[in-house]
Order: sequence, then C-alpha cells, then structure tokens
Amino acid sequence: MFRTAVLQSIRCAAQAGVRAAPRVQRPAFKTASFVQPRIPAISAVRSYASASSLSNDEVTGRILDLLKNFDKVSDASKLVPTSHFTNDLGLDSLDTVEVVMAIEEEFSIEIPDKEADAIHSVNQAVDYIMAQPDAH
Amino acid sequence: MPRLSGLQRDALSLYRKCLRACRLKPADTRANFYIFMRREFEKNRELNKKDFGTIEFLLRKGARQLETYESPGVTNIAV
Repeated sequence: MFRTAVLQSIRCAAQAGVRAAPRVQRPAFKTASFVQPRIPAISAVRSYASASSLSNDEVTGRILDLLKNFDKVSDASKLVPTSHFTNDLGLDSLDTVEVVMAIEEEFSIEIPDKEADAIHSVNQAVDYIMAQPDAH
Repeated sequence: MPRLSGLQRDALSLYRKCLRACRLKPADTRANFYIFMRREFEKNRELNKKDFGTIEFLLRKGARQLETYESPGVTNIAV
C-alpha cells in the first residue's frame, strides 16, 4: 500500500519534471499562457570559465591556519610560508601524508599519490594549489 | 627529504588509503579507527628499510586488514 503510494508519487514527480523541462525552453510561438515566467538567467549561471579567485596570500594563510591546528607540529613559532614539514616542523612522513590529506580536504581537491609525495613544504603546497584550477 | 624507495612509497600509499577509509566511518568512532591505524603503523616504525621480506609481508597484511575494516558493517574498533 505504502509502496504503491510512493511509486505513484515518484512517477507523478518524474512526469511533472519531464513536462516542465521542455516548456521552459520552448520559444514563444506557443500561446503566451504556456510560457512560464522566465527566471532571470544570470542568477543560476555559474561562470566556470572565470579565473580562480584564490590568491597566493589566501592559500598560504589557509594552509598555515590548518598547520596551526595540527597538534603534531612541534614548534609553532617556526610556522612560516617557507617552513619544511620535516626539517622545520618536526613532522614525520606519516604526518606529512596527513597534512597533505588535510590540504586536500580544505581545498576540496584530490591530489594523486605521486604529486602528494612531492609536497614537503608549505611553499610547495601553495604552488601546487595555485596550479589547480578547481581548488577553492 | 631523501628520495623514497618504492616500498616506502607503498607504505605511505597504504597509510593514505587508510586515512581515506577512516573518513567514511561514523563521526563518533572515527578517532578510534585513526588511533588503531596509526598505532599499527608505529609498531613497525623501527624496522630496517632493507628488510624487504618483512615489509612486504606487513604491507600485504595491512592491505588485508584495511579491506576487512573498511566494510561499512564495521562501525567501531577497540583501541
């Protein structure tokens, strides 16, 4: 009983969706009553082509903040844009992997293993993020 | 940082996979998984990097453990 009701409502919704979609795009040769009010196009458009809004300083700041909250950093005073994860911050290779993963999460990208292994300092991380068009 | 050997890279890659698997666990027990995983890796930290047989065995063992624990049915782990 419940299942049929659910199925029916889904079918209704699907049909409504199919019916509604072409109506929006149909040019105005139909009678005006069929033409749905046009939604301002600008609001729904996302300009994927526009340049990444991330600035170098912003990326550096976000990475440094992330490291500041990382409890394994031995000496927070050494936290500068040029610090090396192992030599300056006292992180081991496992911690480095964790930092890189945290950076991935922060900028919502996925860094392939090979490139992730090459990131050993804040600078390198910033350069990598700046080279990624889809980081945000 | 010195160039990593193939086995070292494999170990880091396994660690990365484990971390990714941890993220999929329920938020309240995620820390347990993390502690467990980290401890398993730390146990063999002092292993000689030329001890290829042992490392390969441990990598296989780790991969098998990951396979077991990453199943969605496993929701908590004793640490």
